[in-house]
Amino acid sequence: MSADTGGDSGGLDGALRDAFDWYPVAKKEFRDAVRSKGLWVLSFLFTALFVMPAARNWWDLRSAQQVPRRLQEFGLQVAISRPYLDIVTLLVPIVVIFAAYAAVSDERTSGSLKVLLSLPFSRRDVIVGKVAGRSAVVGVPLLAALGLTGLFFAVSPFTFKIGVFAWFVLYTVAFTLVFTAFVVSISGAMSTNLRSLAGAGIVYFYLSFGWNSLANSIGDVLANYAGMEGALRWQIVLFVKLLSPTQAYKTLTNSMLGEGAGAATTARYGMFQQGQEAMGTICGDVLGGNPQVRQTMFGNQTVCQTGGSGLPFYFSDPAVFASFLVWIGVAAAISYYTFDRVDL
Amino acid sequence: MPAIELDGVTKRFDDVTALRGVDMTVEDGDVFGFLGPNGAGKTTTIDVLLDFVRPTAGSAEVLGLDARADSEAIRERLGVLPEGYDLYDRLTGRHHIEFVGEAKRADPDPEAIADRVGLDRADLDRKVEGYSRGMAQRLALGMALVGEPDLLILDEPSSGLDPNGARLMRQIVREENERGATVFFSSHILGQVEAVCDRVAILQDGEVIAVDTVEGLREATDTGTRLVVSVAPGEAEAAADAARAVDAVESATVEGDDLVVAVDSDAKMTVLTAIEDAGIAVDDFETEEASLEDLFAAYTDEGPAPAATAGAAAATGRSSAGDDDGDGSAGADGDDPDGEDGGADR
Repeated sequence: MSADTGGDSGGLDGALRDAFDWYPVAKKEFRDAVRSKGLWVLSFLFTALFVMPAARNWWDLRSAQQVPRRLQEFGLQVAISRPYLDIVTLLVPIVVIFAAYAAVSDERTSGSLKVLLSLPFSRRDVIVGKVAGRSAVVGVPLLAALGLTGLFFAVSPFTFKIGVFAWFVLYTVAFTLVFTAFVVSISGAMSTNLRSLAGAGIVYFYLSFGWNSLANSIGDVLANYAGMEGALRWQIVLFVKLLSPTQAYKTLTNSMLGEGAGAATTARYGMFQQGQEAMGTICGDVLGGNPQVRQTMFGNQTVCQTGGSGLPFYFSDPAVFASFLVWIGVAAAISYYTFDRVDL
Repeated sequence: MPAIELDGVTKRFDDVTALRGVDMTVEDGDVFGFLGPNGAGKTTTIDVLLDFVRPTAGSAEVLGLDARADSEAIRERLGVLPEGYDLYDRLTGRHHIEFVGEAKRADPDPEAIADRVGLDRADLDRKVEGYSRGMAQRLALGMALVGEPDLLILDEPSSGLDPNGARLMRQIVREENERGATVFFSSHILGQVEAVCDRVAILQDGEVIAVDTVEGLREATDTGTRLVVSVAPGEAEAAADAARAVDAVESATVEGDDLVVAVDSDAKMTVLTAIEDAGIAVDDFETEEASLEDLFAAYTDEGPAPAATAGAAAATGRSSAGDDDGDGSAGADGDDPDGEDGGADR
């Protein structure tokens, strides 16, 4: 993001150049994008995605004449928990895919990679620079759009809670960057644009729609064939679930929205939909909570309250957030490993 | 220490063998020509030097460093004009030069570079998208010059350049060489290589079939350009006399309605002017240069009976052009295939 349009912005530019071999690649990437319509299209798309649902809620309220107090107070949280979680996990990745799938593969097919790699850049520099550059290309419009959304909430009748919104921005930007790293890395590992697009599409599809069943099937296999029952099984299932950045993002955001001491426990617990006995195990033995059975109109429901030993550190919000960011490194490393091996 | 040292470099792709045990040494300070038809493996060889492609067998050293392990250190000291490259459409010429400067930690002067390669200063701040092929080639050449490289690798540098651009490119090659750079110059055009190089390697089907000085190459190919001039019927003999009066002309013969002049390539225009000065209108003209096929024939057909193959017939045609008038008609039969071969080059 520091790679702004100005050519020689002096101190910072030079310092970054001195510090990072990949910096010129990232800067070139951003400069290139700034001059395309793409960046504006991205800003517009992101802004539309975030402002429209909130605007619609506002519009509905206009005709209602009087804003219900609860909605006014929790309008921001409602917007985040309902449309925004889905928008960020389902639509933003699609935008990212189209913005980044050609990052490396296009240079390979067009031949500009020959120019790039005849300069003293290692292939690692190219991948890292591309990930950093494209992250800026996606991140800047995203931040701009989120800024406008914040402004929108500030002037709307909904109470603007800057703390809640700041966390939402942090998680959303982190999620988007992880996804950008995925897509750019896939692009580095694939020989053509089409393959890169297909690869990114498959990864997106699995992360968004296939991951829960994958995690649960792993649990079933462990239980049925390895005799692994009880806490260990569900620990592994939760661990696998959290490996998906999509799941990690959702549970982090839910935990933030929940506020209060037990919010993280409740958010992790909310990732499961199992029978009563399993839910009890998950709450008590995996999440260190206090399971309580409640009578509801849908029958007995197990609710997980804080208590007991507390949420283990490795399932806590900071740990989930850290693992989430580790993905950027892992994706780039796999990409580099593939890219470094091939003939151009 | 040689600038480039290839030792038994073999490269097999899935279904083709691009290089078959290439051994080659380019001495420091040389302008080294790397000549071969398209598809001979020139670009693959350069790809090995740049670590774009990893050899199946053999080893490559550039500037005394291993091409595979020390690629980044090598490329710090390299200026490269790749073949089949593409520039960044949305960036300007100045951006490109600055980018190379950042990559090499050099501080280039874009205006000076533009002047050197004959790129209009005003075009420096235009997006490369709007550049013609020749402008892009000039910019790419300019990018290769950033940071005073120790070794310049130019792959088909004259492609896309007009004759003026090609001349400027050759001048830059000489200047860079005088500065102390080694130049590795790959081309499929004999004339380009002859004009600037000290030594030449000839590559065919992934093998180096000859390494020679450029004088040796000249002898082998008998250098001459054939200039075929069409004039009004009946004026051919007068035109031939006018042509013979030019110093650089080795021979001028009338073949059918055409005048065929064997002349040093640089003096073509002088000949045409001389003919027109004699009051004869030139309807049309074309030049036929010694083709690579002729060259391969010269280097590979060292055995007996050079008359048998088509390649050898071409070589015969060439030597007849150097002979006097009397043999001219006798050689005319052999000239037709020669003309086709030579014409394919330009």
